[in-house]
Amino acid sequence: MRVRVVTLRLASMLVVIANAGAVRAQGLPSEPIALADGRVTVSGDVSATYGSPDPGFFNYTDYEHSALRLIRVDVSAAAKAGPHFSLLGEVRSENIDTLKAYALYARIRPWTGRDFDIQVGRIPPTFGAFGRRAYANDNPLIGYPLAYQYLTSLRPDALPASADELLQKRSLGWLVRYSVGAPGLDRGVALVSAFRWDTGVQVHAGAGIFSAAAAVTAGTVSNPLFSDDNGGRQFAGRLEVRPVPGLIAGASFARGPFVSDAAVRSALGDAAPDENFTQTAWGADAEYSHGYYLVRFETIVSAWRVPTIRTPAIDEPLRALSTSVEGRYKIVPGLYAAARVEHLGFSDLVGSTSTLPWDAPVTRAEVGAGYSIQRNLLLKISYQHNTRDGGVLRRVENLGAGQLVFWF
Amino acid sequence: MRVLSLRAYVFSLVSFVSFVMIQTSNRLDAARNGVIRGRVEVRRVMPQIERRPGVADLGAPAARDLDDRMRSVVYLESAPRRAFEVDEGGRAVMDQRNETFVPHLLAIMTGTTVDFPNSDKFYHNVFSLSKPARFDLGRYSAGHSRSIRFDRPGIVRVFCDIHSHMSAFILVFSHPYFAVTDSQGRYHIENVPPGNYGVFAWNEGNASEPKAVVVPDGGAAELDFALR
Repeated sequence: MRVRVVTLRLASMLVVIANAGAVRAQGLPSEPIALADGRVTVSGDVSATYGSPDPGFFNYTDYEHSALRLIRVDVSAAAKAGPHFSLLGEVRSENIDTLKAYALYARIRPWTGRDFDIQVGRIPPTFGAFGRRAYANDNPLIGYPLAYQYLTSLRPDALPASADELLQKRSLGWLVRYSVGAPGLDRGVALVSAFRWDTGVQVHAGAGIFSAAAAVTAGTVSNPLFSDDNGGRQFAGRLEVRPVPGLIAGASFARGPFVSDAAVRSALGDAAPDENFTQTAWGADAEYSHGYYLVRFETIVSAWRVPTIRTPAIDEPLRALSTSVEGRYKIVPGLYAAARVEHLGFSDLVGSTSTLPWDAPVTRAEVGAGYSIQRNLLLKISYQHNTRDGGVLRRVENLGAGQLVFWF
Repeated sequence: MRVLSLRAYVFSLVSFVSFVMIQTSNRLDAARNGVIRGRVEVRRVMPQIERRPGVADLGAPAARDLDDRMRSVVYLESAPRRAFEVDEGGRAVMDQRNETFVPHLLAIMTGTTVDFPNSDKFYHNVFSLSKPARFDLGRYSAGHSRSIRFDRPGIVRVFCDIHSHMSAFILVFSHPYFAVTDSQGRYHIENVPPGNYGVFAWNEGNASEPKAVVVPDGGAAELDFALR
């Protein structure tokens, strides 16, 4: 029933989008709305995606939302109050649900002549590359990279009592329950969340071919938060270099307490220090483009430390490694082809009867194409081949999807 | 003798007709072309295309130049047949400088090749999805230039695939009777054959109603426009 409602909403939205596009096409093309002599600008991104059923939950971002069946509306705004201060925000709705504040922060530029900014509030991701271009217009394909979307079986608010319990939950990250901490069913976390931004302070500086950013935030890259749940702060940093036009190389680091206070107390009692149960992530990325080609590479290593209360214990950090390569080629004006190949693997965990990766490794290959109906109206199609090495869900899935993207 | 007289008569008749045609042709050629000139007042300047808010950026973007949106194009609704016999194949330049197309408005004849040099330190990607010219020049860096020949008349909107606030217009005409206004809004269409014409003014997608004008033999016609 819900799928039908969403489909109807999708159909009506497509009509609206198509009409809006046609109207705009008669005059100037769509562009950000400027108010107050350009001091306030508002832009929007709307994407409507419909794809194959995904019983293997390869593309789910939580129990209810699949990235392949999603209507996403983003409205962004920037208000400039002079050369030193701006207020930026973004609200987002998924499947025409309630609007959520995705970003809201102040940008301070102390010296107008210098590439130096301080951002305070719900800020853009410091870590990695994809997190800042997770808009449908910037993503040549429909699926998200596994590192930013695929839900592992780890939760910050609920914990496995032992290694055995964690191994039993392999492939169940879309809806998982543990015996320690929060008792209910909920989703696990991706290595890096592309669906929430963290809250804190960020500093960015650029000089020549280098730029760097550092941030202190409430959550971690896999679990960004509005208000802290464990009293610890995440430190994240990124260094980017652009040695020649078209080439961008970046390296990122983040470390912060991952497990919530409540979950740690449930596992170890009130005296336990929650700062030990961290997520540490390292990332490297590169992008090169020239002519009609664009190639991107990104790899992320993440390690979580979690407490256990029974043997076999989880003594070593739970590691995950994702590697993704994607490319886009413009075939003719307005038409491109794209592909992404990626793998998400997990470190071995010793249980009572077996040693296995602590979650089921996943490999995805996606190919697709995009056609610009007009400058700001893009139609995408894609085809995914997903495989999962283990777990209780379907291990192989081939999924098709179409997406209409409108932006201004 | 009669045959000779008849031949002489026919020759005389042909000579007379030829003489009359040559005289008529000379008179036509002797008609001196004129000028249409005047001023276009743009009463409501189209606002600049602002950058998208860039909420996901780690810092504020660098300053950029602004488009010159005061320039207009004035052109004849229709042109004498001879206008279409003009040699084609000129060249024009639309630079990409400080995240702006310079000039923002270019008026050319069909057959003209436009060069798009990149004068910035970073990539640009010029493209258009307009019906008269659908093209994509790909990404290229500073010091490089790519070009495209415009063979179909019409309005071509030009964009950068990387910088969404960059835009420009290229108006492609199949005759040479057009002019781009200067910074004061003045225009000057030269070499217009004498006659009656309808004239349009155009600015940023807004076209005026056609205005009638009579171009005198060797003279100038004054015509002002006000675009709302």
